[in-house]
Amino acid sequence: MDSVITESKEVTLLEILDRILDKGVVISGDLVISLAEIDLIYVGLKVLISSVETMERLRGAPFAGATEEPT
Amino acid sequence: MKIYTYAIIDSNSKISDTINGLEGIGVYNIPYRDMGIVVSSHSEQIQNITKDHILKYEEIVERLMEDFTVLPMRFLTLFNREEDVLLMMQEHYNGFKGNLDRLRNKVEFGIKVIWQGETIKNRIIESSKKCYANLVIPDNSPGKSFVKEKFEKYKIDKEFEEEADRCITIIDYFFSRFIAEKKLEKLKSDNLLLSASYLIEKEKQKDFIEVFEKIRAAPGDLKFLLSGPWPPYNFIVFTKNANMFNRKPVSQDRAGENAI
Amino acid sequence: MTINRIVETDSPQDFIEEIEKIQGALPKRIDANPKNVEKGLAKLVLTLIELIRKLLEKQAMRRIDAGSLSEEEIEGVGETLMKLENKMQELKGIFGLKDEELNLNLGPLGDLM
Repeated sequence: MDSVITESKEVTLLEILDRILDKGVVISGDLVISLAEIDLIYVGLKVLISSVETMERLRGAPFAGATEEPT
Repeated sequence: MKIYTYAIIDSNSKISDTINGLEGIGVYNIPYRDMGIVVSSHSEQIQNITKDHILKYEEIVERLMEDFTVLPMRFLTLFNREEDVLLMMQEHYNGFKGNLDRLRNKVEFGIKVIWQGETIKNRIIESSKKCYANLVIPDNSPGKSFVKEKFEKYKIDKEFEEEADRCITIIDYFFSRFIAEKKLEKLKSDNLLLSASYLIEKEKQKDFIEVFEKIRAAPGDLKFLLSGPWPPYNFIVFTKNANMFNRKPVSQDRAGENAI
Repeated sequence: MTINRIVETDSPQDFIEEIEKIQGALPKRIDANPKNVEKGLAKLVLTLIELIRKLLEKQAMRRIDAGSLSEEEIEGVGETLMKLENKMQELKGIFGLKDEELNLNLGPLGDLM
């Protein structure tokens, strides 16, 4: 039964990540390339304010290791 | 000082309960006109973001959702000073107002559907092999061989997508009965046929879940995932007038110098 | 603290597999480190060229599908597309960029490719 609980926790975390990392209200330094005042290309230069390596690790292995203490 | 933001809410009052956010620091509402933004104030940037931070963040947003209409902020949107937060609120006020009004009393549900994508694609490839014996692209030169290969792949992908569209139309038809808005993402991978977000009124939640139960129980080799209710992450909409694509926000902190 | 959120599926493992596949690509950032600025710009430029190349390819396929190209035209298109593809491979090699890296996130418009 353990694996069932772990699995659904993992799905939950993935579902949360799916939403909070890229969606919601996005305020960032973005670039819009326009032609004759018509916005044609939106370049999302999203600057993630956290260690990208950490986020990489979190996405790749949601349950890798124990909780880390903040430094 | 670093101010971490959680969500825009449709209230300019203080938050009555004590709610502890990231790093156990209490959250509070910064009012701006007839709305507010819920934040927590930290002495410095959080160094190591873990899954606990993610879960805590989502917990806070959902807690707020119980009492208010919320526009969740993208995770880790932070500012240096309260003044900067207020400037941001000023810049985006109209956009926020429009969204709050539109999303009042509504929640988001997610539906994901897995189909036997690889099997279907293989079936299409097999049957195309029979057809292409007659294909009128002779491959007696490198240019034509190149095109022939590309074209065959193009035909297979096209049929695969059409099959997906047919399937999605049917699924979406069943789920769309009670919804206010929807956002469909098709074939994010060969097997992930559909990743959909549905915006529904709070009172219609039970009906929606019932529909899911029925569809999931129906015979067939589709696999379904339901999640929700979520804050309306997928339904925040900005128009040009609301200045989403504006010049850089006044003080969004960056890891190093100005990024570009 | 209770969250009334539900996550319901009969096949958690399948969904974990598929979702992890697509969450592989992180939001892009431009690194201010001078060593990487060059690479960042190259990425931007090559991504746009790659977009155009793919659009050209797709458009050619559509024309062939519709039967509106002669055999000679098909030959010409084929050779050009082939050269473009080879050139792109070369450029990617020079800048050490992989296919997955040439994909901009267009915010509300989704990913470029």
